[in-house]
Amino acid sequence: MEKRSLQLVHNKFGALELSFGWLFAIIAGIVIIFIAIYISSKLIGSSQETISAETGKEINILLNPLETSFESTQTTSITIPTETRINNICDDTGTFGRQGIKLDQKSFGKWVSTNTMVYINNKYLFSESIIEGKRFYLFSKPFNFPFKIADLIYMTSSAKTYCFVDAPYEVISDISNLNQSNILFENCSNKTVNICFNNGNCAVNVNLNSRTVKKDKSTVYFSGLGEDTNALMYAAIFSDKANYECQVTRLLLRLKELSSLYKEKIISLQGIGCTDSLSGRLNELENLISNSTTSRNLDEIAMKAAKVEETNNGGVCMVC
Amino acid sequence: MYGMLKTKQKLKIKNKHGQLKIQQMIFMILAVMFLFILVALFFLSISLNKMKKEATNLAEKNSMLLVSKLANSPEFSCENAFGSNKPNCIDFDKIMALKKDIAKYSDFWGIAKIEIRKVYPNQGNVSCNTENYPNCGDLKILDKKVKVLPYSYTFVSLCRKEFSETGPYNKCELARLMVSSQDRT
Repeated sequence: MEKRSLQLVHNKFGALELSFGWLFAIIAGIVIIFIAIYISSKLIGSSQETISAETGKEINILLNPLETSFESTQTTSITIPTETRINNICDDTGTFGRQGIKLDQKSFGKWVSTNTMVYINNKYLFSESIIEGKRFYLFSKPFNFPFKIADLIYMTSSAKTYCFVDAPYEVISDISNLNQSNILFENCSNKTVNICFNNGNCAVNVNLNSRTVKKDKSTVYFSGLGEDTNALMYAAIFSDKANYECQVTRLLLRLKELSSLYKEKIISLQGIGCTDSLSGRLNELENLISNSTTSRNLDEIAMKAAKVEETNNGGVCMVC
Repeated sequence: MYGMLKTKQKLKIKNKHGQLKIQQMIFMILAVMFLFILVALFFLSISLNKMKKEATNLAEKNSMLLVSKLANSPEFSCENAFGSNKPNCIDFDKIMALKKDIAKYSDFWGIAKIEIRKVYPNQGNVSCNTENYPNCGDLKILDKKVKVLPYSYTFVSLCRKEFSETGPYNKCELARLMVSSQDRT
């Protein structure tokens, strides 16, 4: 034993001498340790992905109660234990397009980016492309054009405060009922995102006459029909141009599909004595949407939609 | 000569001993690796199972929350077709049209099954189609052929236009709207 240990340490010339067995064991040990480190780092990464996917799915589920029925607004908030960055992804391809959510969370003071996206087809989330914080405020409003198309969900972070300057009474009453602490109507400062109505030089400028919202040197258009005409205006205020235009396209795609659903319904109603006065109007609406799906054409589409509403209200059987 | 042979023999024995030790070490390392792989697989299967359970729980939660709101979504709701906007009212004529076009909506709500069953008047389990509509008791709107979780349901009024000699009139019945998510366990 003594002889062996001597053999392992030094030979007679003082050089380190290792037997093949030891050398092999050291190399194999290093390989095993590296494999263990690699696997554990992968496991940590995949657990981050899992947390991101689970939280994304939970957010999706929490959006369900925001669906409105007879009420004009629904509100809720989400609190996430760790600092979170919500990436709002909008995809306008396919029959309805889809809404994506991707979460990045802070771990040991650094943002950990994940690749897992949660997609939802029946939700329309209006926000900046990336919002971060721990607490997020959400409210929703129905969008009728002329019949209900969807509920628009607006999401803001508690870390960002919005201040409405010279807002009309209906906007103040709409928003103040939400009791969101990050929306103010007075004491605006340089730290708040100021939203001006019909005048001023704010970060967001709303023109109610031309029905436009100017933000970050870009202009988007909004429109509305029925009792609540401001749903798209709030959408334009709280989201960036790319997200807004994409969600408008998705809404118009759904409007097109709903129009064809109502046309199908009209065919079945003709059998019980209802006359068809609406199909022509719905066709016109569908054709217009097929040629234009940007916010610039919203007023033109609104005019056609208003005619659909007028014809529907005057018919023997109300279809929608 | 004899001495040389003895030294060669000694070297051979030493060589054999060395080879045996290396073989032992290789087997040992392989056994340790195999143990590590087994432990990793064990933990992986546990975490995968946990993930599947979590996904199922979330899907169940989703269908529970969705069912109370689905009746008010534009594809189902009565809108103003039967008078002023009624909550939890489903337009039977509209969903018959929706059933024809359901392929487009198969992934729209993120659930596996949507079914409407008349409660009052009870018309049994007669499945609704274009031939027997509206004299039927059960309408399967979406039916993905997958393993599903138990149904979540809510009561709704199921309204349609009916024919009479004086002109069409509105008829509403009591029904149960049922939804179910895919079971991923």
